[in-house]
Parts: sequence; structure tokens; C-alpha cells
Amino acid sequence: MRLSVVLRYTGLVLLVDATFLFTAAVISLNDGDSALLPLLYAALVAALFGVFPIIFVPSTTSITNKEGFIIVVFGWLLSCAVGLLPYVLWGGEFNLTNSWFESVSGFTTTGASILTNVEALPRGLLFWRSATHWIGGTGIIIFVLSVLPSMGKAGMILYRTEMSPLAAENFLFRTRRTIHILVSIYVGLTVLETAILLICGLNLFDAVTHAFGTIATGGFSTKNTSVAHFDSLSVEIVIMVFMILSGIHFGVLFAAVSGKLEEVWNSPILKFYLVALLIGVGLVAVKVHGCIYHDWGEAIRYASFQVISLGTSTGFATADSSIWPPFAQLLLISFTLQCACAGSTSGGIKTDRIVIFWKAVVRRIKSIQHPSAVITVKLNNASLPDDVVEATVLFIALYLGITFLTTLVLGFLGVDPLTAFSGSAANIGNVGPGFGGVGSFGNYSSIPALGKWALTASMLLGRLEIFSIMVLLMPRSWE
Amino acid sequence: MGLRMKILSGFAILTMMLFLAGVWSIYELRSVGSSVQKMLDDNYKSINASKMMIEALEMQNSAVLLLLLGKWKEGRSIIQEGEDLFRMGFDIAKNNLTIPGEQSYVKAIETRYETYKTMWSQPIVGTKREADLNWYFEETHRAFLSTKAAVSELMVLNDKNMYQTASELKAKSHRATMPGIVAILCALVFTMGFNYFVNLYVVSPIIRITKGIHKFVETGKAENIEVETKDELADLVSSIQDMIARLMR
Repeated sequence: MRLSVVLRYTGLVLLVDATFLFTAAVISLNDGDSALLPLLYAALVAALFGVFPIIFVPSTTSITNKEGFIIVVFGWLLSCAVGLLPYVLWGGEFNLTNSWFESVSGFTTTGASILTNVEALPRGLLFWRSATHWIGGTGIIIFVLSVLPSMGKAGMILYRTEMSPLAAENFLFRTRRTIHILVSIYVGLTVLETAILLICGLNLFDAVTHAFGTIATGGFSTKNTSVAHFDSLSVEIVIMVFMILSGIHFGVLFAAVSGKLEEVWNSPILKFYLVALLIGVGLVAVKVHGCIYHDWGEAIRYASFQVISLGTSTGFATADSSIWPPFAQLLLISFTLQCACAGSTSGGIKTDRIVIFWKAVVRRIKSIQHPSAVITVKLNNASLPDDVVEATVLFIALYLGITFLTTLVLGFLGVDPLTAFSGSAANIGNVGPGFGGVGSFGNYSSIPALGKWALTASMLLGRLEIFSIMVLLMPRSWE
Repeated sequence: MGLRMKILSGFAILTMMLFLAGVWSIYELRSVGSSVQKMLDDNYKSINASKMMIEALEMQNSAVLLLLLGKWKEGRSIIQEGEDLFRMGFDIAKNNLTIPGEQSYVKAIETRYETYKTMWSQPIVGTKREADLNWYFEETHRAFLSTKAAVSELMVLNDKNMYQTASELKAKSHRATMPGIVAILCALVFTMGFNYFVNLYVVSPIIRITKGIHKFVETGKAENIEVETKDELADLVSSIQDMIARLMR
């Protein structure tokens, strides 16, 4: 593996970070707030660190699978490290641990925050906070590759690692054009949502930052009470629609934009995703009606938003679901574990794996009934290889195992069981808010420092689909 | 880019990071200094003035009690002393309006003090007010408490502002130290990276070139030396290969 090549392309990632940091600094300059120098210095550091490898390392068009893989993981980690600079330099509630937590939470599009008073932050920092979502969501590597024509075949290699392996399997992308399409959809959705939110009455800053948070399925808001602050049904509907869209496989979105609606409706994953959300909304609305909301309209309104927000791993909130009945909370936790489709910016186990898992369970039952029969797991009329099914089941087991392990760590540190479990599930799933002390209107400030580091580790594991990080830690990867 | 420029850019980046962090730290430190001065000028002065006014009011209150007891000389002397002290404190507070809304607090003190003053500026000893405790409790004492409350409000306002400035000071001192720490850490990481690149793209090719020349000297056979970069080292390799080709002819 050529470390110099890895450093060159992670340098490009840092240049993207630097661009957004400079933009945030311009906002601070305009406001004359205290975040100007921290943002400017962080931008400069990111730019200098990004430029230096480009100066030294000659451009190459051939990147091996292993190098591409390391670039992705290294790019994420470096971005998180650079992303914490403006926070730690600014101070306030940000010590080193809190800055790292906020930065990782941003880049992994988790949206969990340590801030007790979000509105106390200067607008420049708030913009950077939301931008980390957007950069993370678009996949820094994909973004960089789409604007750099010198990469050649490397783009596809990186894409496979960044996105869910399942997405790479069922999405017909084989060239750099893929990345252009993905970015176009991503940018298009962001611009469209921003425009509609502006029409709904939000100012440009809030519209942009909330569009960043929605399309990246992140969930950082610029308000202490998240989307509830606006108390606007139209804003909630717009954000809900875009949360649902952002949870759909980008290939399906592209098919829809291209007019291939038949392909869209034939997608079993999409059907499962939408039906699951619909059932979830119905069940939660029934449970919160009467005890929390006396009006059916309100029950459906708040249930819809919370279910869609957690079910797409976004994490915005319009109500404090921590005070909802236990059944509603458990259902929301199940959505926190499942989340949306592979190939989207969503986190969690993903509906694709859930569908394959249940099909594998059915196959197992059938094979017990008919021991001689050859039964395959089919998805969209195509048989799935056994190793895909095995990897899926293994992933789910590992995912739940890590969630349990993080819960144990938090429990050991004195965090109550509900907060510990829901927080762990929400962080590995890149959802953000959990229940108990880390509810939709709460924050992670009370979690002990060691717990925060454990949660950031699980965020990264979840975002990079567990195996990527594990392989990176193997010494053989660096040979 | 040439080798010279590459190495120069490395040092330039390192210098820039440290220099800017240094400049920023100095700026923040100076800002800390000016904040301390501002705190002393703006708030501490007004708090001291308030204390002076409260002490003066207490003196005048005691003096009124002496007048009620018929002790004219002692009473009037203390009242005058209190009046001088109050005026001194009031003038300081009036000329040190630094907080938004502070003027209204000073105005309130002035109004209430004028009311209080009308109570004891007229004769008390030898009049029907002498030994009139009801008059004292119903009017004078109330006016005294009201004026004192107005002064206390001014003091609380300055106290709060001083606390806020102190919090800002804490933030400023954090911002003064963090750039230095961050710059040192970044410089360490950068130095490691710089060393890696210099080793990979300068030292290693030189070693390869030297080995190639030694091999040619020992065996008389030319060896292909590869250099990835297009800089002075690539030119050197090209020149050496030309020279070897000529020697072999």
C-alpha cells in the first residue's frame, strides 16, 4: 500500500473541509462574532494540511482496492479531527472530548449533541456544525472524486467502500458518472428543500442549515427545540417529505427522476421501507392519542414526524418522545435500529438487511420442513448468493453486539439503562437522539467523557458499516 | 514543482501555522488585558461608588436619629459628612455610565435621594419633629430604604456585568492558550508528514541513485533508476543516465 497516495487523496478531502470552514468564517465575519478566528485558523490548517501532500505526491490515476478503502476510512477520521478544531478553539462547552463528539457526530450524520444551549453558538459555528452533516452525507470521498477528473477508476473503488456494500451490489453504477449522478441528486434535493423552506417562512440561514441536516439525515438544528421551534405544519411536512426521500436508495431516486417509475414501485426494499414507516406512524399515533394528545390531528402530526425522523436516522424533533408511552418508545427504538434503505445517507442496520434477514428466516423454516429442497433467498426475483445472506446476518449480529457492548460501557459508567441502550442504538445507527436523558430535546452533555468516546467509536463503526473500521485496524491492511 | 520549492513550501507552511497561532494568541492575550482594564474601569469603579453612597446613606440615617434625640451639632456634622461622601460616590457613578440602561438606575438614585434629602434638610431639632418616631418610621426611614435600594440595584447591575466580563475573560484566556496548543500539535503532525515526504521523495531517490552509480562503477552495467517526481532529482537521474550511456559507448 502506498501511504503517500493515501495522504494525497485524504488531502483533497481536507480541502473540501477547508472550503466549508472558510464559508463559515465568512458568516462569522459578516456577523462580527467570536467564531471568526477559530474558523479561520481551522480552515487554514485544513487547507495547508490538504495542499501539502498534493505538492509532494505526484498525481496517480490508479488506486488499488486497499488504498481506496484506506483513503475512505482515513478521510473520515481526518475530517473528524480537523472538524473539531473550530469547536476546541472557540471554547464554551467544547473541551477536547466534547469537540470530538460533536465533530464525529456531524461527519457521521448522527446529530447527537453535547450542547445544552445550541442557540448560544455563533452562526458561523452553527453553519459549520450543519455543514459537517452535509459533507459527511455526501460522502467526502465521493464529493472529492466527482470534482477531480484525475482519479480514473479510483472513483468506483472508493464508492463501494463509502456506501453500504448492499447498495453497491444492487445499484448499476460502474463509472465515474455514478458519482456525478449521486452528487447531482444530493445537491438538487438540498437546493429544492432550501427553496421550499424559504417559501414556508424560514430565513435563509435556517433553511440552508435544516436542509443540510435533512438531506444528510443528520439532525443538527440551529434551535434548542429543534424543528419544534418553528411550530409550523408546513415546515414539518416539507422536512418529513425530504427525510423520507433522503432515506431512499439514491439509485431509486435517480430511476424516479429518469421517469422509470415502474422500477421504483417494483423495489421490494422501498415498499418495505414505506410500509414500515406507515405502520409505525399508525401505531405510535394510536398510543399517543388520548394520553399525550387529545386531538387525532395532533397525534398523527407528532407521531409522523418522530417516526419518520428516527426511521430515516435523521434525528430532528417536534415533540419530546421521552415522555411518550413505553410502547411508542420501544417502537421508535426499533426504528432507530432499522433505519432506512442502503444507498441512502441513512445509518442503522438498513431495511435491505432486515428484508434479507426475514427472508433467510423463512428459508430456514422451509428447509426444516423440506430438508432435501434447494431454497434460495430471492430479492426482486433474483437469487442472493449465500455469502451475501451470511454477511447480512453476521452484520446484524455484530451490530447488535456492539450496541449491547456500548450499553454495558455506559451502564458501567453509571448511565441509566434506558439512556444507555437508546443512546448506544441511536449512535451506532447515526440517528442522534435516544430516550431518557438523551431524548429528542435532551443532549449528551451528562454522559461521562469515557462514554462519549465509546459513543463516537460506535458512530464511526456504524457509519463505515463496521467491517471497514475493523479491517483498517488489522495490521495486514497496512502491508 | 521543483524540489527547492517543495521543501520551501513545507517550511513556509510550518512557519505560517506557528506564526498565525502566535499572532492570534498575542491578540487574545492583549484582549484579556483590555478586558481586565474594562472590568476595573466599568464595573469596579461603579461598585465602589455604590458602596460609598450606601455608607453615606447609613451615616445620614444615623444622623437623623441623633437629630431626633435633639443632638443638633453632632447630627448636622454627620449629615454634611454623609452628603459630601454621597455626592462623591454619585458623581463617580454618574460619570461612569458604561452599561446599557445604567443611566436610568443613576437617575432613580438621584430622584430618590432628593426626596430623602427634603426630609432632613429642614430643621428637626426644636420643631414638632424632634422625638417624633412615627415621622421617622413613616417617612424618613422609608425614603432612606428606597434610596438605598436604588443604589443597591446599581451595584447589582454592575456586579452582574462584572461576572459576565469575568466569564468572557475565561473564554478569552481559553482562546489565548488553545491556538498555541493546537499549533504545536499540528506542527508535530506536520513535521512527521514532512519528514516522511522528504524521506520518500528526496532521501530515498538519492540513496537509489548512489547505489546505481556504485553498481555501475563496480560492474560496469547500467541500472534503471526510477524517480516518481518530476523535479531536480528526475533531471539528475536523466543526466546520470546520459553520462552512463556516453561512457558505455
